[in-house]
Amino acid sequence: MDGRDLLFRFLFGGSAVVLSDVTAKLLPWKVIGGIFAAFPAVMVVAVMMVGMKKGSKEAAKTAQGSVYGMIGCLICVLTVLFSLQFTQNWWGSFIFGLVTWFASSLFLVHIREHKKEKRVPSVK
Amino acid sequence: MGALSISGIVIRFLLGGGAVVASTIISRKLGSKMGGIFAAFPAVFLAALLTLRLDVKGSELVEKSIVLSQGAVVGMLINILCAIAVVYFCTKQGWKRGLTQSVAGWFLVSIIYAVISGYF
Repeated sequence: MDGRDLLFRFLFGGSAVVLSDVTAKLLPWKVIGGIFAAFPAVMVVAVMMVGMKKGSKEAAKTAQGSVYGMIGCLICVLTVLFSLQFTQNWWGSFIFGLVTWFASSLFLVHIREHKKEKRVPSVK
Repeated sequence: MGALSISGIVIRFLLGGGAVVASTIISRKLGSKMGGIFAAFPAVFLAALLTLRLDVKGSELVEKSIVLSQGAVVGMLINILCAIAVVYFCTKQGWKRGLTQSVAGWFLVSIIYAVISGYF
């Protein structure tokens, strides 16, 4: 495992959380903290690392894969939001968000692979 | 809004970075299919939610978590656009310029949205 890769991820992830907190406290627009909390740190570092090692084409492929991941994250955030509003239960909403994130991501990966399988014969 | 404290910032930094690194390591250990899922783990969002617990308790915690989640919904929508932009620009201009432009676009759209939402 590449140590530099992990270090970048650590720095980006940590900075994004700190930035979301600092901006939420310093800037007058409440929503900005949440936006920074969604900073695509993982995607940015992943694209950067693949770009450095394998070039732009592979980097674009990584980004393409992350589009599905982002949809899973959106579903997770929406679940947490609605669950918090309806139940007011913090831990319940947190865990419910995790469960729906996992379920929706599995579903999206399944769809993606199904699509790929369909595409292969037409290429041949 | 609460005051900024150094210890709070350090804890947030460690938790945020740790969450991202943990999801990366898990994704590599699990192989391509399950690994891909964990590579997109909403680590930053969940770490931000957890660290919010450090500052506030009770009904205020739920209230602030709702505001954070509302912002994150918008953020995730912008992320999806950003990822699509990365795909487009990386193939056209190379990954360095492509990624920089996409992240700059992400930042600009986020700030503009935050300012506009503040007025309404």
